[in-house]
Amino acid sequence: MKQKITDFLEETFLFEFDIDISKGEDLFKSGIMDSFGYIQLIKFLKKEFDITFSEKELMSNILVSYDRIIEFVQTKKSSTENV
Amino acid sequence: MCGIAGFYNPNGGSQVFDASIKKMLSFIVHRGPDQSGYFVDDVMAMGTVRLSIIDIKSGIQPLADENERYIICFNGELYNYIELRKELTNQGVHFRTDSDTEVVLKAWIQFGDKCLLKFNGAFAFAIYDTMDRSIFIARDRYGKRPLFYMNHNGHLAFASEMKAFLAIDDFHFEFDPQQLSSIFNFWTPLPHQSSYKNIAQLPMGHFLTFKNNSLKLQQYDTLNFPSQTTINSKEEACDLIHQALAKSVELRLRSDVKVGVYLSGGLDSSIITSLTKELTDETVRTFSVEFEDQKFDESSDQKIVSKHLGTMHSSISINDYKITNHFPDAIYHGEIPVFRTAFIPMYLLSKMVKEEGIKVVLSGEGADEAFLGYNLFKDTILRKSWGQISTSQKQERLKQMYPYLDHYSAENSAYLIGLYNQFTEEQTRGLFSHELRLQNGKFSNRLLNEKFDLSDQANLLLGKEEYFFNLNPVQRAQWLEFKTLLSGYLLSTQGERMALAHGVENRCPFLDPNVVALAAQVNLKFDNGYNEKYLLKQAFKNKLPNSILSRYKQPYRAPDVSAFVNQKPDYLDLLLSESELKNMPFLNSKFASSLLKKIFNSPPDQISTKENQTFIYLLSTALLNNQFVRRRGLTNNLHLIESSLVKRIDHRIKNVELSRVSL
Repeated sequence: MKQKITDFLEETFLFEFDIDISKGEDLFKSGIMDSFGYIQLIKFLKKEFDITFSEKELMSNILVSYDRIIEFVQTKKSSTENV
Repeated sequence: MCGIAGFYNPNGGSQVFDASIKKMLSFIVHRGPDQSGYFVDDVMAMGTVRLSIIDIKSGIQPLADENERYIICFNGELYNYIELRKELTNQGVHFRTDSDTEVVLKAWIQFGDKCLLKFNGAFAFAIYDTMDRSIFIARDRYGKRPLFYMNHNGHLAFASEMKAFLAIDDFHFEFDPQQLSSIFNFWTPLPHQSSYKNIAQLPMGHFLTFKNNSLKLQQYDTLNFPSQTTINSKEEACDLIHQALAKSVELRLRSDVKVGVYLSGGLDSSIITSLTKELTDETVRTFSVEFEDQKFDESSDQKIVSKHLGTMHSSISINDYKITNHFPDAIYHGEIPVFRTAFIPMYLLSKMVKEEGIKVVLSGEGADEAFLGYNLFKDTILRKSWGQISTSQKQERLKQMYPYLDHYSAENSAYLIGLYNQFTEEQTRGLFSHELRLQNGKFSNRLLNEKFDLSDQANLLLGKEEYFFNLNPVQRAQWLEFKTLLSGYLLSTQGERMALAHGVENRCPFLDPNVVALAAQVNLKFDNGYNEKYLLKQAFKNKLPNSILSRYKQPYRAPDVSAFVNQKPDYLDLLLSESELKNMPFLNSKFASSLLKKIFNSPPDQISTKENQTFIYLLSTALLNNQFVRRRGLTNNLHLIESSLVKRIDHRIKNVELSRVSL
């Protein structure tokens, strides 16, 4: 899962982790993510990991960095598996 | 309209001054193909290429006062020259011609730099005092006409277009990565920048004095949108808007040659066309651009307006081939790296206009900035109120924000809330309104090896403009648009540079100081800003078809990356060859290569706006590098100056036999 997300981000946004930015860095503030890319990312996560977003999740800052994205996907996956 | 150029060499002149000024003028002869003329003395040479529009017979330049102490080279038009001439005549000033150029010169002699606040026009001019050998150079308040200058080896040189500096043998163009960074962030150079090292732009609303080898730059007008008003009703506001625009169009119809109108099919140009019809007896000539690709095309609206107002309409059709085929020529005229291709159709349109015998066109630039037409303003209002409105309100607003962008479609509006959450607080002082746009700039900046701080650029732009921080968020957005996109691209690269590439002058009735001041008084006073240009629509609701008044604003765009991927023009070698890329050592070639790889190997719908823009920046920079830095493919037009030369004023003391000869 981590590798898939890493590959998606690096290929879509044309950068390399640990060379251009660190995994904890804000993807917006570093100029990696724009509105087009943000929608691409959400659609990728929905399709690849079968994730649905609640209104509350959309309103919170869940996708600002690689670390936060991984944390969010792991939480969603485990909550789905626990149901 | 004209082009001007000149240089000051304190080491003393010689016969080479003649050759040098003629060579400078030859690079800008397209701006004024009708006549050329120049002045020369022992330290100074300056000249004009003229497009004759007002007082065709006696408005020949350079123009001197009666004593030949002051010499003026004037580019542009002074629209209120008749009123100013009366004022000056009442004060005992005499005139020898009917030209606006003489009014500018006499007003400057009479009032000094204070004359600039009296001027309603589009201009850049230089006045040389032959007695104390000082130079005064000024530019209009909105940056409608260009003026670049450089201090090279102790010599001052200035010109309407930078390409005139190609005539200076020992000067070499070199891109300034720091200025490129500003362009990639703001879409345009900052007002004092040019893109190149050692060349400055005279900012709008400023004048420059050069005396005793010392340069002094001063601002004569600020842009502060005073909103105090006694206007109390929407109806009164609409009446005043109608009156102010009618007066502005009337002033801009002052011409000794026929005036046409650029009709895009949108609200602004339709208003101009309607007012032109009311103010002229002849059938109005309108011109427009059509696109083969339907997503850019507005020809159905153009036809509706043309039919409604009974204009004689002509249009050109644009496809991918025309975009790629004319990109090198158009960017040569533009001189500055660009973020989109929409200027190229305007290059072809002015060619057709000239061929149809029209030298002057009115156009709608400035309406969106003055009357809040851009979605950027709605976006600013929305993000500023983000904490006070409900989720469903946010979603509703976002659905309407950028309907022409697929990723802003209704199905994505809920997702975009998460994105907008990131942009509700100001990150760079003064730039709140533009922060979403600046995201794309951060991406484009990766083209550069060196990294530059956005806040430093913001300081360069805003540091001396203390009043800016007293403006409200929407006014700040307006200010930024006036100072960057409007003057740095719409009026220049897409506007006058493309028009004058073929000797056509553009005039902008929405950019009359009285219209801009009125708009500042009424904006957001009778509406909430989400129905763009609401008062303009109301003011002209009985004059234009309903479909034009109610249509959603369509930004003027042209085919971008896809055109180059489809057509693969030869000059793409400048990017696709590693050895060619090395000619631009400031570029991060690794990032450039990965961007190009993605663009040429991905479906078009997978290329984002920022990637599109970054590719156009890269390609335009490469072409300009070839033309200006490496001087490839330059044309010698010296014969055009020789054949159009109608005046030479020679004040050289060392050449008594030639002294004070006017051809």
